Amino acid sequence: MIEKILIANRGEIALRVIKTCKALGIKTVAVYSDEDYTSLHVKHATEAYHIGEAAPAKSYLNQEKILDVMLSSGSDAVHPGYGFLSENDDFARLCEKNKINFIGPSSASMDLCGDKMKCKAAMLKAKVPTVPGSPGIVKDAEDAEKIANKIGYPVMLKSVYGGGGRGIRIVNNDLELREGYESVTRESISAVGKSAIIVEKFLEKTRHIEYQMARDTHGNSVHIFERECSIQRRNQKLIEQTPSPVVDEETRTRVGELVCKAADAVDYTNLGTAEFLRADNGEFYFIEINARLQVEHPITEFVSGLDLVKLQIDIANGEAIPFKQKDLKMNGYAIECRINAEDTFLDFAPSTGPIPDVTIPSGPGVRCDTYLYPGCTVSPFYDSLMAKLCTWGKTFEESRLRMLGALNDFYIQGVETSIPLYKTILNTDEYKNGELSTDFLKRYGIIDKLTADIKKDKETNKEVAIAAAVIHSEYYKSRVKDTPETNMHWKNQLGGS
Amino acid sequence: MEYNIEDIEETFNGEIIQQLGNLEYLIKINDNEKNLKILTMSSRGIEFILDQKYHKVKYLDNTTSQMKIVVDGVPITITKHQNLNEIVFKNSGESGVGTSQLNLYSQIPGKVVKISISEGSEVKNGDVICVLESMKMQVSIKSHKDGIVKKIKIKDGGTVAKNDIIAEIE
Repeated sequence: MIEKILIANRGEIALRVIKTCKALGIKTVAVYSDEDYTSLHVKHATEAYHIGEAAPAKSYLNQEKILDVMLSSGSDAVHPGYGFLSENDDFARLCEKNKINFIGPSSASMDLCGDKMKCKAAMLKAKVPTVPGSPGIVKDAEDAEKIANKIGYPVMLKSVYGGGGRGIRIVNNDLELREGYESVTRESISAVGKSAIIVEKFLEKTRHIEYQMARDTHGNSVHIFERECSIQRRNQKLIEQTPSPVVDEETRTRVGELVCKAADAVDYTNLGTAEFLRADNGEFYFIEINARLQVEHPITEFVSGLDLVKLQIDIANGEAIPFKQKDLKMNGYAIECRINAEDTFLDFAPSTGPIPDVTIPSGPGVRCDTYLYPGCTVSPFYDSLMAKLCTWGKTFEESRLRMLGALNDFYIQGVETSIPLYKTILNTDEYKNGELSTDFLKRYGIIDKLTADIKKDKETNKEVAIAAAVIHSEYYKSRVKDTPETNMHWKNQLGGS
Repeated sequence: MEYNIEDIEETFNGEIIQQLGNLEYLIKINDNEKNLKILTMSSRGIEFILDQKYHKVKYLDNTTSQMKIVVDGVPITITKHQNLNEIVFKNSGESGVGTSQLNLYSQIPGKVVKISISEGSEVKNGDVICVLESMKMQVSIKSHKDGIVKKIKIKDGGTVAKNDIIAEIE
C-alpha cells in the first residue's frame, strides 16, 4: 500500500495531487526549484525538498536528483502530474528498477503510447480507426511528398517526438511540404536531438474529442466519458467541456468501446486519455494516447462524481477498478477554462511577473485549481497555465452562465490573462450552439470580437472610472494644498496613513 | 479637472460639488450629478456606491497626468489634465509672481481669436484680455493684475507661442 508519494511536479497539479493524498491519509513529498521556494505546493506538502535551479532541466526534469529524494525521503510512490517527466518512459523505468511505484502506466506501455507509429500500428491491429497517412516514419521529404499526393493535400507533418502542439506543420502543396519538412526536422533536432516525421491527412473543421480511460492491472478497462477540447490556439487547448455537444449516448458508447479496445491494445494501466479527431461527417479517428493525468481532468470529475487521482492511486496499489462501465452515469455539464498568463493581442505571448493581488472565484458548481495567491509570482521558466477554472451545471446553459460569473469574479493583478478572451468566446452564439471546431478562433473572428468587447466594457464603465479618478485626484490635491480640514478628512478615510 | 479615457473619444469633466456627509459626496461628471458613497479607500484602490450600485476600483499605476485603474475587472487608462483655463489663470495671474510684473505672458501656444481690450484701457485682475484657441478649445487669457494696458503685443488672427508676451500692463 502506498503511504508516501513524491510529487514530481509543481504548480496547480502538485496541489491537486496533495489534496487527494491528504484525504486518503497519504504523506506527500514536494520538490522545488530555486524559483519555487515560496510556491504553495512547498507549503502544503508534508515534506519539501529543494532539487535545483529554476531551469526545468536542472530541477523538475532531473531524474537522478528526484530519484535521490524519493529514496532519501522514503517515498514508496511517485506521481508525475502532467508535463515534465509524466510521459518519460526512461523515468518510469528508473522508478520500476528502484521499486518505486510510478503512478501511471508501465514503462513498456508508455513507450508504446509515446511512439506515435507503433501506437498507430497497434490501433490498426485492434481495429481502432486512425487518420489516413503514412504507414510509418517517412524516409525523406520525397517519400512524404508521395504519400501526401496519395492521400491528398492538405496534410500534416508531425514529429513523432513532438507533443502539445509542437513539431506540427500543415502544408498545402509540394513546395510547402518541402519547407515544412525541413523546419519540423530542425525543430525536433534542436529539441530532442533526433527527428522522425510522419504524414497525416489534415482534416478540416475537425473537433478534438478525447476520452478519459482507466485500466487496472487485472485487465479491466472502462471509459469515463468524453471531453470536447476543440477550442484551441496553436494546437493547444483553451476551453474544454463535457459532454460534447455532438456526442449522443449511442456515439458515447460506440466510441467508448473503441477506447477500451485501445487501452487493451497497448496493455495500458492506470488513467490515460485517448484523443480523437472527429471529422465534420461524424467519423472518429484515433490520434494518440496521453499516458498521464490530463490537465482537464476536473470536468470529468464533475460529471462522474469520481476523484480521478484517488482512482489512480487505487490502481497503482493493484486494486481492481471499483465500478463497472454500466455503473457510470454522466451527470450534468462541465466546462473548463485554462487561465493562462499570456497576452492574447501579442499572439498569446507569455506574460510573467509578480501577482500583488488575486481574487479566486468560488460558489456553487465552481472549482478553481490554482497555485496563485496574493504575493506569488508567475515564473517565466514554466508553463503559462496559472489556474483551471471549472464550472458545473445541471444544464449546459447553467454551466456556461456560472463560468461567465466566475470569470468576472476572477481578478488577477500583474499579468495579462486569457480571461477576457474566454468571456468573449462564451458569449458568442457559435459557442452557445455548440458549433465548435479546432479553428474556432479564426473561423469566427474571435480576436476582433474581443477587441470590440474590450471597447464596449470601457464604454460601459466610463462614468465609474471617472468617478474613481475624481476621488483619487481630489485626494492628491488635498495632500498638496495641505488645508487642515481636507487633509484631516482624507486622513480619516485612510486610517491615519 | 478634465479626463480622457483611452480608446473612447470623449472628454469628461469631473469634480466634487459637495460633501453630503461622512464619506458621501455629490459629484458631477459632465452635466450629470451623481451620488457617491465611499466604502473603503486606500492608495491601492477604492470601493464605493455610485448611484445605488457597488463598484470596486483598483489603482495600479499613477502619474500626475495618467492613471491606470481596473474598474470592476475592466482595465482602463485615464489621462487627466487641469482645464486649460485654470492653468493659464493660475500661471499668469495667480501664481504669486506679484503685481509688479509688467508683462502678461501666454502659458499656451494658440491662435488669437479675439482681443477684448485696447491700448490704454483700464483692467482689473482677472479681466479677460484676449481669447486664444488651442487644441480646439478656446481659452481666455486674463489679466494678472489691476492696471492700464500699455501695449498689446498680439494681433487678431495671429498666433502666439508659449511664453510670448501678450500685453504690457502697468
